[in-house]
Amino acid sequence: MRVHHDIVIVGGGLAGLRAAIAAAEKSKKLSIALISKTYPIRCHSVCAEGGTAAVLREGDSFDLHAWDTVKGADFLADQDAVEFFVRESPKEILRLDNWGCPWSRTEDGRIAQRAFGGQSFNRTVFAADRTGFHEVHTLYERTLMYPNIVRYDEYFMTNLVIEDGAARGIIAIELKSGDLVLFEAKAVILATGGAGRLFGFTTYSHQVTGDGMAIAYRCRVPLKDMEFFQFHPTGLVPSGILMTEACRGEGGYLRNKDGERFMERYAPERMELAPRDVVARSMWREIIEGRGIESEYGPYIALDLTHLGEEKIEERLPLIREAAKKFAGIDPVEEPIPVRPVAHYTMGGVHTNMWCETPVKGLYATGEVACISIHGANRLGSNSTAECLVFGRVAGEKAAEYALSTELRHVDDDIYREEEKRIFDEFLGRSGDESPYQIKKELNEVMDSSFWIFRDGNGMKEGFKKILELKERYRNVEIADNTRKFNTDMIYAFEVGFMLDLAEAVAAGAIARTESRGAHYRLDYPERDDENWLKHTLAYYTPDGPKLEYIPVTITKWQPVERKY
Amino acid sequence: MKVIFNIRRFDGEKDYWQSFAVPVFRGMTLLEGLFYIKENLDGSLAFRASCRMGVCGSCAVKVNGKPVLACETQISSVNSSKLDIEPIDNFRVIKDLVTDFEGFFRKHEAVKPYLIRNDDNYENPVELIQTPKQMKSYYTFSLCIKCGACYSVCPAAATRSDYLGPAAITAAWRFIADSRDEGKEERYEAVCGDNGVWRCHFAAECSEVCPKKVEPAKAVQKMRIRTALHAIKKVIL
Amino acid sequence: MSVADWFRVRGRSLQSISFSLHRLTGLVLFIYLLMHLSYLTSLKLGKEVYESLIATTVSPAFLPFDILLLLATIFHGVNGIRVVLNEFGIGYEARKAMLYAAYLITAILWIIASVAMYNFVVGVR
Ligand SMILES: Cc1cc2nc3c(=O)[nH]c(=O)nc-3n(C[C@H](O)[C@H](O)[C@H](O)COP(=O)(O)OP(=O)(O)OC[C@H]3O[C@@H](n4cnc5c(N)ncnc54)[C@H](O)[C@@H]3O)c2cc1C
Ligand code: FES
Repeated sequence: MRVHHDIVIVGGGLAGLRAAIAAAEKSKKLSIALISKTYPIRCHSVCAEGGTAAVLREGDSFDLHAWDTVKGADFLADQDAVEFFVRESPKEILRLDNWGCPWSRTEDGRIAQRAFGGQSFNRTVFAADRTGFHEVHTLYERTLMYPNIVRYDEYFMTNLVIEDGAARGIIAIELKSGDLVLFEAKAVILATGGAGRLFGFTTYSHQVTGDGMAIAYRCRVPLKDMEFFQFHPTGLVPSGILMTEACRGEGGYLRNKDGERFMERYAPERMELAPRDVVARSMWREIIEGRGIESEYGPYIALDLTHLGEEKIEERLPLIREAAKKFAGIDPVEEPIPVRPVAHYTMGGVHTNMWCETPVKGLYATGEVACISIHGANRLGSNSTAECLVFGRVAGEKAAEYALSTELRHVDDDIYREEEKRIFDEFLGRSGDESPYQIKKELNEVMDSSFWIFRDGNGMKEGFKKILELKERYRNVEIADNTRKFNTDMIYAFEVGFMLDLAEAVAAGAIARTESRGAHYRLDYPERDDENWLKHTLAYYTPDGPKLEYIPVTITKWQPVERKY
Repeated sequence: MKVIFNIRRFDGEKDYWQSFAVPVFRGMTLLEGLFYIKENLDGSLAFRASCRMGVCGSCAVKVNGKPVLACETQISSVNSSKLDIEPIDNFRVIKDLVTDFEGFFRKHEAVKPYLIRNDDNYENPVELIQTPKQMKSYYTFSLCIKCGACYSVCPAAATRSDYLGPAAITAAWRFIADSRDEGKEERYEAVCGDNGVWRCHFAAECSEVCPKKVEPAKAVQKMRIRTALHAIKKVIL
Repeated sequence: MSVADWFRVRGRSLQSISFSLHRLTGLVLFIYLLMHLSYLTSLKLGKEVYESLIATTVSPAFLPFDILLLLATIFHGVNGIRVVLNEFGIGYEARKAMLYAAYLITAILWIIASVAMYNFVVGVR
């Protein structure tokens, strides 16, 4: 089957939804397809808890927000993009307000803000601890107002169509029927989210498997800065469910087994509210040095909220309380929560400029799948939902402008037939002796051991070898289910394939970068090295593994200085 | 310890039960059990899941007759060494535990579940004032995750497949109760039809099963009164 | 779920079960209404026919049926009032208490009415 639209947006998370609205606002004449592998309100963005950063009040300033972001990023962020970002973010907050988002309020009815790690002003706007949930629902509901947004829910993108250096559309499987659909379009926006399920201990939803990144990568679009993966300090032990940074923003403490607030020793000024990479490393150090609290699920650190009192916890952190009770059997009002650093955010992604344009004409990327780079080597909490909103809009508008000025070109039938053959003749129901589930499990183990918070050259090289081995084994993968309708077995196998390619890119970038910066910390190179490494990594796909190139970081106002908190 | 997962399966043609023995550890959720089966025993088992923390609404299934979110149900809490797991009712089954939500979302769309304002300004939005108290009057109703549990137990929905259902009507009420909204009339019209609020006869099972305690039955009853008043007003004026 | 599933008990709360009972008792009352009307119509065939019908049904042998019919009537009435209140948005928070109260009131009324009925059919003779 074949359908055509002016713009095809892949991904119904915050970024994709925002892009759809922006494009629809640009012109009523544009027909916009919104494609996602889950229903939009089931995207990963609903998991975001803490909040969204924006400069709204007296005393705060754009420069301050930008500086916090750049410093948090360990100076790897592109500063022109950051400056644009901080200016646009407040408007997005107000738009969501006008569209019905139940932002938490102050007593006089204005939008409230809270403290967040690495932000030197209380500038995080929030909706209790369900920020992402409410944002996604608000945007989704808003899309219903535009007749020119056509949703394709539960369609799994398998490939991009690029001809003559320009995007022509995408190919996706309709899960319900198992049919393959070719979407022809003048412009394609990728908003498929991060790649967090590369890791085993992670806060991510099961669906976050980096599909968009891997597909673009295979189509020779470079990936940027893939070695930078954020570890959030506080993942619930054992499930990895996020205990939001707002727990600390609202005044929670981190304690080791002696009950000591150990952050005193690592970041005396900002304490628990230092940026994530700093806190996560400090916690890991405590654990490695034997000051973690032992449990049947390994050592952990205590996140202590007991002094906040029931009323405050109920009002500001209701979801956290519910989750701690349901998933760990612990009531944070009475006992500290067991936590450990956990894989949380993909700073890297598809290479774009600050207008969300990839090197391929008509192909845009936005949200977590993209690396515009405002997060550099380490993202600040609550900057990512803000990024999805700001740059979702940018992508939508740019794609709309482009679509209005170009003609649709039809895609050759051969391309469709080839993809059909690849999927239904060669992949579906194939027999082999490797289970995709086993490969995924082993991949997670490699990532969790070799590419975790503390990295070193030898460990990473070992890990890289193992990834290649897994890739080899994947060629022989078995797909037990050979039916067409809602074949989750096949989809899983696809996702594992995507993740293997991404793991390779992460590993290659990490091994090459012989310095420590932001979230990328090497025991064998513990210092930042601006002379040689103040630059972005670009990984290009080749059949023999990633080829790396480097491009400079854009610096406008802020020269790199030592990062102290 | 092993627990028997007795799963009702459907492959597009055949409908049958299949049992799996799942080794259970302390704190294990139903969803982890389903993943255990998929990863180790039968890869073809189909179910939906994503967030595994009870906010995305993907994973509602029926366990021993009652709809629950698989991801936030502890296996031990079901208190039984054999679990009958079925797809939720009132939805067409696509495969195994996966049901068709198309119609459910269409009904949600039909009630205009978005803030309607006369001064909608895309380019230059302004901050609207809403006190915490005003927010409280609708906030619980905004917590619906659209998992379909309420709809699956609703006898009115069982009788008529075009009934809007608890979730959609709750969505309508959530916006009507929002102090920022100016689209009440349009929404009364949307829910007062033959397939709307009058179909409900307060079995109130929706409020019993809602995993997020949204209290759809309450929203529907509030909606009924307002809709009734609206209808009377229309006749008189 | 089909209409037949209204009457499934597994996994359901008393709320749903009451809904089903309400429908069920409604059906019973409807059948009774038809019977009642046919009795009245039989008057047209003559007084004797009517009285013979009454004689067979208002008798100790039929007493258990009468008492069950009473139960259906009272439940339907009391529960009906509860539902009407709830449906007008009254007492949502107290819905559980109201539900239990409805059952309690039904039970009390039923006992009183049954005694009266017994006295009428058996006792007077
Ligand atoms: C637990 C948690 C808490 C967080 N809290 C915060 C916070 O407090 N503040 C903050 O700023 N950030 C937070 N973040 C980060 C932030 O939530 C994410 O970066 C952001 O939501 C990503 O949005 P997105 O739109 O790019 O992608 P997603 O929301 O992941 O959406 C991706 C979309 O793409 C679709 N898709 C993917 N692959 C395919 C395919 N192959 N075919 C078709 N469709 C596909 C999916 O269905 C989905 O709709 C948090 C992250 C986590 C993990
Ligand atoms: S997996 Fe998201 S609600 Fe259960």
